Amino acid sequence: MSKKRIGIPYALYFYEYYPLWKDFLTRLGAEVVLSKPTNKNILDLGIRSALSEVCLPVKVFYGHVLSLTEQVDYILIPRMVCIERGSFFCPKIIGLPDMVKASLDLETLSPIISPLIDVRKPYGTWQSSLFQVGKLVTENTRALSRAFTDSWENFQKNYVAHILDPEILKPGPFEPSDRRAREKLDIQHPVLNIAVIGHDYLFKDSFINLNLREKLQNMKVRVLTPEMVHPALIKKQLKKLFKPIFWSPSQKVVGAAFYYFENKVDGIIHLTSFECGEDSMVGELIHHQSRNYPNTSYTEFVFDEHTGEAGINTRIEAFLDMIIRRKRYEISLTPYG
Amino acid sequence: MKLALPRMGNIEVVYDTLITDMGHELIEPPPTSKRTLDLGVRYAPEYCCLPLKIVLGNFIEALELGAEGLIMAGGWGPCRFGYYAQVQRDVLLDLGYKFKMIIVEIPRGNWKTFRENANLLRNGKSWFYMISQYRLAWQKILLMERLEQKVLVVRPREKTRGAASLAFKEGISKIRKAKDLDALKKIEQETLEIFNDITDLQKKNLIRVALVGEFYISLEPFSNFHLEEKLGYLGVEVVRKNSIEAWIGPIVKLKIFKDSFKEEKDIEEAAYPYIAHSVGGEGQITVGNVVLAHEEGLDGAIQVIPFTCMPEVVAETILKKVSEDLNIPTLTLIYDEQTGEEGFNTRLEAFIDLLKKRRKKAVELS
Repeated sequence: MSKKRIGIPYALYFYEYYPLWKDFLTRLGAEVVLSKPTNKNILDLGIRSALSEVCLPVKVFYGHVLSLTEQVDYILIPRMVCIERGSFFCPKIIGLPDMVKASLDLETLSPIISPLIDVRKPYGTWQSSLFQVGKLVTENTRALSRAFTDSWENFQKNYVAHILDPEILKPGPFEPSDRRAREKLDIQHPVLNIAVIGHDYLFKDSFINLNLREKLQNMKVRVLTPEMVHPALIKKQLKKLFKPIFWSPSQKVVGAAFYYFENKVDGIIHLTSFECGEDSMVGELIHHQSRNYPNTSYTEFVFDEHTGEAGINTRIEAFLDMIIRRKRYEISLTPYG
Repeated sequence: MKLALPRMGNIEVVYDTLITDMGHELIEPPPTSKRTLDLGVRYAPEYCCLPLKIVLGNFIEALELGAEGLIMAGGWGPCRFGYYAQVQRDVLLDLGYKFKMIIVEIPRGNWKTFRENANLLRNGKSWFYMISQYRLAWQKILLMERLEQKVLVVRPREKTRGAASLAFKEGISKIRKAKDLDALKKIEQETLEIFNDITDLQKKNLIRVALVGEFYISLEPFSNFHLEEKLGYLGVEVVRKNSIEAWIGPIVKLKIFKDSFKEEKDIEEAAYPYIAHSVGGEGQITVGNVVLAHEEGLDGAIQVIPFTCMPEVVAETILKKVSEDLNIPTLTLIYDEQTGEEGFNTRLEAFIDLLKKRRKKAVELS
């Protein structure tokens, strides 16, 4: 019997949960086929098959699903509802399997498997939904539970507990060896700590965000991400809110943004995508908070299906120039006013 | 305390019962107008949905009139509605207003705030009095919705144009003034009699259309460009599927009584083949209602959505498939802050023409 091939569209929540699924399924002896990183072709496929009102990340997801056609036996689209009591995923993610089934031509697609992940329900825990998929590969219950325990442990150890290196926020350890270069750099271009806040599927998809990370790094910026903040610290920050946020992905974004505000980074860039419902609300919360921290600059980049880079370049440059100019201005003032 | 409640449809019927009679001063936000919308649009986050913007406009207008407390409903997701109050509060605070936001929602562990708010609304009156007032308000809403449903049936059949709306408005203003349940009964009888008088029984076999979609837009005539009236005057009987009763009912009746869930369950079951899980808001309900509309033999369905609404976009995507499978025409109208009505009128008329032709064809074939 040949290996079962299970396709995973590399978009949306899979940026976070792909390692778990892959680890689990490979341990069971299945072949996991990951769709290619987003490219123009995938984006076009998605845009063509989705309604125009659907948000960009979901359109991209459609493209990834379509790109897996004929390569796999099954396509995995879990229905992520709730991974923690009291918070949900966004409606589009909850309804994602239904949306895909309704708008793509099912006859040409491989069968879609959509296990439910809703930890409030006994049949919706991670274990039961992983088992549900695992049963397509093997009937052996012992192998299933062993694979689950191992892959879950692995996932928790390597991917969830990203602990922020405390060194990372200390100012100015960037030191070129050449003294002259150092002097020049100090005055003209101090190292900036810029936090880039946003959903993983925006920040990690360099086609959608037009290589933002690389661009920032080329400009001698230290890029900080929400993942660098320990989940416990995020939880602590969220207590500042008037009402808890009930979207799991946004909790991370807001908590990290608040954390970076408090730790006085030089700037925060909030990445959002066009038509994103969560971000429209969450952006306002972050914006509101930013007024309490006048020394941290804040901006918002909205991404849509356009792929022209000039606009984003200009905005990055302007944002960094503004921060640098202000820093220089502050330096040239005496501390006594 | 000077309290204000936002507007939505004919919700003003409960203003006096819930606020004035409890000893508060009522600050009535001016009827939703172009100015309300402009204020909301100016200060709300750009990609928020329309209801947030209009309600924010209501609040700003109420604060201009001197409101000290704003009452707003809340929720716990995943629809954005649950977070409206927080965002509106932030925006209004940024604008420099001083007020207290009173969020009415199911408390999740936060009993302290809940008790505080309840005591504030109670205003020193007895609990018994408060509960009886809220029951009266609930009955008022139920009656209002019964009349709303009735006027949808009467309007396309009225003898003189505008008579139904006039009688309905009168009924609403009477409900608002009513002080007890007996008065409500009398009002219902009177209004139904008037409705009977103005109905032309000759008009039969009208086109019937289900109105589904997002809650606020389907209930607030200002935001949907008086869709129900327009359809009525086009000779169409509208069956509105959304109601406050269906929204708050299950909460008021408590979840112990399973019967109160029956309708909800039917809708969910109807939607199940297309959308197997609730997606918050009215997403699943919209799909279920269209399937039910097909089973009830309605001619078509109109879905109203505020631009960027999350659950309804899911529903819209799925409705395309439902419409194909069941052969029921659906029209999706998306509302944003633009107020040009003509585009909507044209689309509505075209849709109704299509329904009429379909029916004619069906008659010819049979």
